[in-house]
Amino acid sequence: MLNDRMMAPPKDLPAIWEPKIVAFLCNWCSYAGADLAGTSRIQYPPNIRVIRVPCSGRVNPIFVVEALRQGADGVLVSGCHPGDCHYISGNYYARRRFTMLKRYLEYLGIEPGRVQFSWVSASEGGRFAEVVTKVTRDVRALGPARRLSINKVNASETDQA
Amino acid sequence: MSSLPTEIQQQIADWLSTGEIDLFIGWEQGSVPLGATPAFVRDPQDVSRLIWDATCENNLTAYLAKFKGQKVGIMVKGCDARAIIGLMQEGQWTRENLRIVGVSCPGVVDARKVASALGITLEELDQAEIVDDTVVVGDQSFALADTIHDMCQTCNRRNPNIEDVHLGETLPETPVDDPFGHVGEMEALSSDERWARFQAETSRCNLCFACRNACPLCYCTVCFADRTQPQWLTTTSEAEDVQFFQIMRTFHLAGRCVGCGACTRACPQGVNLRLFLDKLRLDAQEVFGYTAGVDPEAQPPLRTYRQDDPNDTFL
Repeated sequence: MLNDRMMAPPKDLPAIWEPKIVAFLCNWCSYAGADLAGTSRIQYPPNIRVIRVPCSGRVNPIFVVEALRQGADGVLVSGCHPGDCHYISGNYYARRRFTMLKRYLEYLGIEPGRVQFSWVSASEGGRFAEVVTKVTRDVRALGPARRLSINKVNASETDQA
Repeated sequence: MSSLPTEIQQQIADWLSTGEIDLFIGWEQGSVPLGATPAFVRDPQDVSRLIWDATCENNLTAYLAKFKGQKVGIMVKGCDARAIIGLMQEGQWTRENLRIVGVSCPGVVDARKVASALGITLEELDQAEIVDDTVVVGDQSFALADTIHDMCQTCNRRNPNIEDVHLGETLPETPVDDPFGHVGEMEALSSDERWARFQAETSRCNLCFACRNACPLCYCTVCFADRTQPQWLTTTSEAEDVQFFQIMRTFHLAGRCVGCGACTRACPQGVNLRLFLDKLRLDAQEVFGYTAGVDPEAQPPLRTYRQDDPNDTFL
């Protein structure tokens, strides 16, 4: 039987920080890969918040920067492997765009690893789990995002811990 | 201040009177010292107002967006000419609608440098003029070469690469050892130091958008910063909002920025925007072998792709 104390933890107990990672997954490959990981009961960290997009080429760089501003600790953008785009060339454009974006953000001082990009196909459920595991591990090692974030609640919680 | 040579004045007047152009954009004497002001000439009688000297720092191609669809004549320095090619590449202008007076530029004067050499603020500098190769303020004078903008000191594009007529002499292009030296210095810092540098630069920004307005390639009819649905930028100028704006505006110029430096010269707060934009120019060169503002037929790198593009950004 649960008593009141167990139901509600005492307020002075510091919250344990868990990285929040926004994942933009393309509908045709990476989202289906995530689905396959799920139906195959493959375990991966529950730290990602998935936003389904039609194509990795649909992801405007402003989405990535806005996610960081809104307090995401990490951002993952994942699409179909080069050559496999449902729209023929969307991921080729995305590749050029995000190659530039990643180099630029790191140049400005956003830590390498905060923003990551991957190709995961619909048949790669295991690979999807590996990618999410790696990204979560990297972001966890970096700690809460402080740069660009207007929502530093997470950060102050870990300061107390 | 020096008026244009008679034959150039005559050429512009001819273009205007024959209807070959509706409007000529040049510079005229400004109301502040060491700052020429843009002149919009429609009447052939007015061409005598036009001037060219080291105070003509505006990149006039930024005004072209306002006159789209018209036939326009314009004066350009070497760096400004690159922006015209950028606009042509992006389908904003066709060559037939432009009449270009090119001028070789030894560098434009930085009034802040003159003021600081005198130990006064820019606002206190109330009179100064350029006489040959010197800047004369009262009884003091400075060599023009020492008071030009930093970006002009490392310029290797003094001559326009697109023009109909050329004003004055063509200057020799001085080879510059490392035009991206300042980017290399920033790259050598640690991530924390780079962020501190970015914070320090952007902390002076008060979101006046002068950089955007001065940029010839920032021609969106509605800028993301002005959008209300979705509203990307709030009406405050919190540090994160400023950083967000600066990252996104500069990134919109990835592979497009021709490095004219108009934004940096326009900034009233002296934010070194070049330090960020030049990284994008350097990356476009290093990763995609592309230099903006050179070939009107080339595709800007983010508008095209190759199947064998580098893949090392992706897991």
